[in-house]
Amino acid sequence: MAGCDSPDVRSDVGRLSLAETLGDVETAGYARALAPRPFSFPEDHGPHPAFKTEWWYVTGNVTTADGRPFGFQFTVFRSALSPPDRAAGGGASAWSTNQAFMGHFGLSDPDGGTFHAFERFARGAVGIAGAHAAPFRVWIDDWALESESEDAFLPLRLSARADGAALDLRLVDGKPRVLQGRDGLSQKGPEPGNASYYYAYTRLPVEGTIRVGGESLAVAGSGWLDREWSTSSLGPGQVGWDWFALQLDDGWDLMVYQLRNADGSADPTSDGVLVSPEGERVPLRWGRDFEIAALDQWRSAVDGASYPSRWKVTVPSRDLDLTVVPVLEDQELNLAFRYWEGAVRVEGSSRGEPVRGRGYVELTGYAGPRPSR
Amino acid sequence: MTLLRRASLRHLLRHPGQLALSILGVALGVAVVVAIDLAIQSSREGFTVSAETVAGRATHQIVGGADGVAERSVAAVRRAANVEAAAPVVEGLASSPDLPGMALRVLGVDPFSEGPFRPYLGGDDGQGEDSSGEGGFSVADFITTPRAAVLSAATAERAGLRPGDSLVVMVGGRLVPLPVIATVDPTDELTRAGLRDVVLMDIASAQGLVGRPGQISRIDLRLAGSGPSAELSAVLPPGTRLEPAGTRTDTLAGMIGAFDLNLTALSFLAMIFGMFLIYNAQTFSVVQRRELLGGLRALGVTRGEVLRTVLGESVVIGTLGAALGVAAGVVLGRGLVGLVTRTINDLYFVLTIDGLSVPPAVLAKGAVLGLATTVLAALPPALEAASVQPRMARIRSIKEGQTRRMVPRAAAAGAALALVGTALLLIPTRNLIVSFAGLFLVLLGMALTTPLATVVLARAATPLLTRTSGILGTMAARDVVAALSRTAPAIAALVVAVSVTVGLGIMIQSFRGTLIDWLDGTLQADVYVSLPSVQAARAAGTLPTALLDTLVGHPRVVGRSTYRGNEVVLIDGVVRLVALDLDPRGEAAFDFLEGDAASAFPAFRTSDAVLVSEPLAYRRGLELGDSFSLPTSSGTVGFRIAGVFYDYAADQGVVMMSRRTYDRYHDDGGVTSLGLFLEEGVDVESVVRDLEARVPDGLVVTVRTNQALRRGSLEVFDRTFQVTAVLRLLAFVVAFVGVLSALMALELERSRELGVLRANGLTPGQVWQLVTTQTGLMGAISGILAVPMGWVLALVMIHVVNKRSFGWTLHMEVGPDVVLQALGLALVGAIVAGVYPAWRMSRVSPAEALRGE
Repeated sequence: MAGCDSPDVRSDVGRLSLAETLGDVETAGYARALAPRPFSFPEDHGPHPAFKTEWWYVTGNVTTADGRPFGFQFTVFRSALSPPDRAAGGGASAWSTNQAFMGHFGLSDPDGGTFHAFERFARGAVGIAGAHAAPFRVWIDDWALESESEDAFLPLRLSARADGAALDLRLVDGKPRVLQGRDGLSQKGPEPGNASYYYAYTRLPVEGTIRVGGESLAVAGSGWLDREWSTSSLGPGQVGWDWFALQLDDGWDLMVYQLRNADGSADPTSDGVLVSPEGERVPLRWGRDFEIAALDQWRSAVDGASYPSRWKVTVPSRDLDLTVVPVLEDQELNLAFRYWEGAVRVEGSSRGEPVRGRGYVELTGYAGPRPSR
Repeated sequence: MTLLRRASLRHLLRHPGQLALSILGVALGVAVVVAIDLAIQSSREGFTVSAETVAGRATHQIVGGADGVAERSVAAVRRAANVEAAAPVVEGLASSPDLPGMALRVLGVDPFSEGPFRPYLGGDDGQGEDSSGEGGFSVADFITTPRAAVLSAATAERAGLRPGDSLVVMVGGRLVPLPVIATVDPTDELTRAGLRDVVLMDIASAQGLVGRPGQISRIDLRLAGSGPSAELSAVLPPGTRLEPAGTRTDTLAGMIGAFDLNLTALSFLAMIFGMFLIYNAQTFSVVQRRELLGGLRALGVTRGEVLRTVLGESVVIGTLGAALGVAAGVVLGRGLVGLVTRTINDLYFVLTIDGLSVPPAVLAKGAVLGLATTVLAALPPALEAASVQPRMARIRSIKEGQTRRMVPRAAAAGAALALVGTALLLIPTRNLIVSFAGLFLVLLGMALTTPLATVVLARAATPLLTRTSGILGTMAARDVVAALSRTAPAIAALVVAVSVTVGLGIMIQSFRGTLIDWLDGTLQADVYVSLPSVQAARAAGTLPTALLDTLVGHPRVVGRSTYRGNEVVLIDGVVRLVALDLDPRGEAAFDFLEGDAASAFPAFRTSDAVLVSEPLAYRRGLELGDSFSLPTSSGTVGFRIAGVFYDYAADQGVVMMSRRTYDRYHDDGGVTSLGLFLEEGVDVESVVRDLEARVPDGLVVTVRTNQALRRGSLEVFDRTFQVTAVLRLLAFVVAFVGVLSALMALELERSRELGVLRANGLTPGQVWQLVTTQTGLMGAISGILAVPMGWVLALVMIHVVNKRSFGWTLHMEVGPDVVLQALGLALVGAIVAGVYPAWRMSRVSPAEALRGE
């Protein structure tokens, strides 16, 4: 991917975020995630421009009153185009910035059999796109995630519209915020600094409307917000990750991810966490506490790129045994930055009791950039 | 091959000179028309391609007034319903020592917004094609490298630059290096052409370089099918408007409409001369063959066959002439296109073209025009040939008798045409086609009266010539009348040619005189300061405030006026808005057509009243006391007109607003030029040197005396009229060739008559005398007729064509030199035309000439 020389502005920006995701970037001049740090809110809800990349990542599963399910993803990526110590190129102009924003909006409609994915790019200037800590707001044009009130982070209002699909959702307080990794330092590659600062709201009750296929539908369900910022994450041998965010109907949430090496093996820095119904955090260590096994694979219609599909996720210490099934096979975001991010159904057992759930899975590093048409 | 065709071919081949001159006449006419057409088309195409390349695939644009568009509106516009995509643009001009003589357009864009608009930037063109070609660049470098620039590969090559080098540009009087981070080489030829003068930059860099803080030049939009939404209208910043893409390009292109049409009309004049020539030559060749044609008719050849034969000859001549003319037109066009684009650059807008583009349609148009004109011109003689009675053919006196009877009728018809033409000219319209039609009718009408005038003048001249040259003089004068069927068209052609030369001469002289008077009045300050510009008539960029203070602070400076000029593109045209901080000493600069200084200036200084130029008032039908609306940052505002002043600097029109008023409605502190008033009696040149010394290092500022600026303005004027001068010359050459061929043929045809005279004792010297006296007489007649006719032409050009084209009043000036030039030109032309026949006739032995007798 780093070898992609397309002059396409979009893929160029996509490449920026992907390249940094893969760790193949110039890190000089940027802040690094080297050690745990004290988090400070509301400031940390806002942008961290000293780091190369950052995202506000909302996923969720909702249903209409008569049970029609939908999955949604809304992400704003921030990408620094130059280190903070270097002045932006445009001098005193209000357009001058080194902050670029990319937005992804996905909507899965398993009953309708369709998956919608949209992207946007914008410079963080003159109000077109940006991120503010308090009152909290991240936006690209009319795609926005923002606090409803001036003085509290939650509830959040999420709105996005695109050709043939739109979201207007309210996310309210569900469980407390959890710091991922080691006190919020999520180690990705083995080298110091190949890590991110990472916190999440694993359960945010959602209600609002979805517009799809010309219909406006009232929906309710549960969302998940991930916040992560870093300068580099993957180590030299790492190619991508499989990330699971599962909400079980017994009140437990499970986040596990597995970093993949070029040879297909899972990297020991893979990590996970279980969050109790009360919001207590139970760390899971890869190789000891959880296992992920792909049961099937799916080939992209775009170029035949092969993704895993259907998984067995087990946490033996907790006697948790789950089968994870995509609500639609094709939930590939065939955008400038190409990956698979889809709503999943969960079935299985927890301590012998049957359990169901919903969630989101993210698969990166399986496909090259969108083939140029 | 039929007998008729053989006879025709033989005739053509036996008179190669006549044939060559006919072909040359057509060729010259076609060449001038084609050359002007090509030059105009190339300049227009260059402009359109540039404009379209820069505008990209926008469906609509948001444009503003002098301030542009407030950048804070962009976010709301992008969010408005129906806006599929919106791209902010900052545009400005620069020049570069690396690309001498070329105006560069700095195009500042936001690469994240560009995808659907300008695919050459490497975005997704929405049509599944990658049209960016070779190249491409990193968006991060583009945005974060200070002043980063991207050039087209061809432009970079021309400047001798490679990625990594810097393009040095002159902006705001300073040289600024722009790192060239990449080049783009679009696969599409038009885009490549459109990018030749473009320096692509990130919008932030461009705003810092050529823009103003807080303002952008425009917002390009792609709107969904249903077009502008109410929501979009609601978020438009004050003083801006939403218009379909292309509106602005059309409006700008409209600026040169009158200029183009005037050139085209002049080129048609050349074609009309060519037509005269064909008519002349064909008439003559028919006259020469009357006997032959009569014989053929007696042998049973039908009228239709004769008609077809003569027309067939004209088709041959027309085809050869058109082919030659098209080729010559392309060559001539290469020369003219430079002059045309330079004038457009000087007066209207920045335009760079790679060279002459040669659309086959233009060539075809020229060729068809040439051929059609030839056949049309040959029609009367062909009809005449067909009407020859077999019995009468040999008797030339019958023909001459007919011609003489035609003379009063032609004059009457001419007078009628001239009246119709005058009536057309009197129609109060601004339509230039009607005006030129009127002009051409008047010209044609006057030409038709020349045979009558010739008869009158030749008879009047007879006693004089008899007294000076004896019997030869009498013969010369009488022959002019006796051979009227051949002398009249020649004289008419010469009269038209000379009168056009005279008319254009008077017009240019009057224009120049008017301009000089106006400049003397307008340039009231002693010293003018501005930044060097690639456009003669426009200052480029604003002067640094600190410099203004430094210069005004010079001890010899007793007053100053400042100017801030902006082109404002309105929906229906362009106006030049000037913010004027006027020193009271400068008030004398205004010569009012409507209103007066006593009432205009107090209103101008203390209220929102404006002063408008005559062309603006004329074009828009504005009068004193009317209101003129302009878009401003505070919305569209109507300004009361306190005076209409004479102005010859901008034919699109000027609005003068006091600086106080301007600042109230605009967010713009800039000053584009400064006029300084010095103490009485100081040495202006030494003050200029002092002022120049006060300009900080690295800043390039033009400090000029009143006189230098006046000279500079006249240079631009003279440059502007170079095209006209070239056309005037060409038109004259066409007519001259026509006259030459007519007179030569006329005299050669008289060889038998001269042979008889020689046999009766006329010496070769006397032949010389006879021939040159006759052609000289014809020249004199032409010259005498051309003066009033040229004067009428000038009158129409000045008071109708120029007024309607450009809106200004010129004061007619007729100098004796123009009149003398006309007489001299006609005389010399006619006498030169007589030299060859005289030389030949004087050498031919009487026996040879009489062989046929």
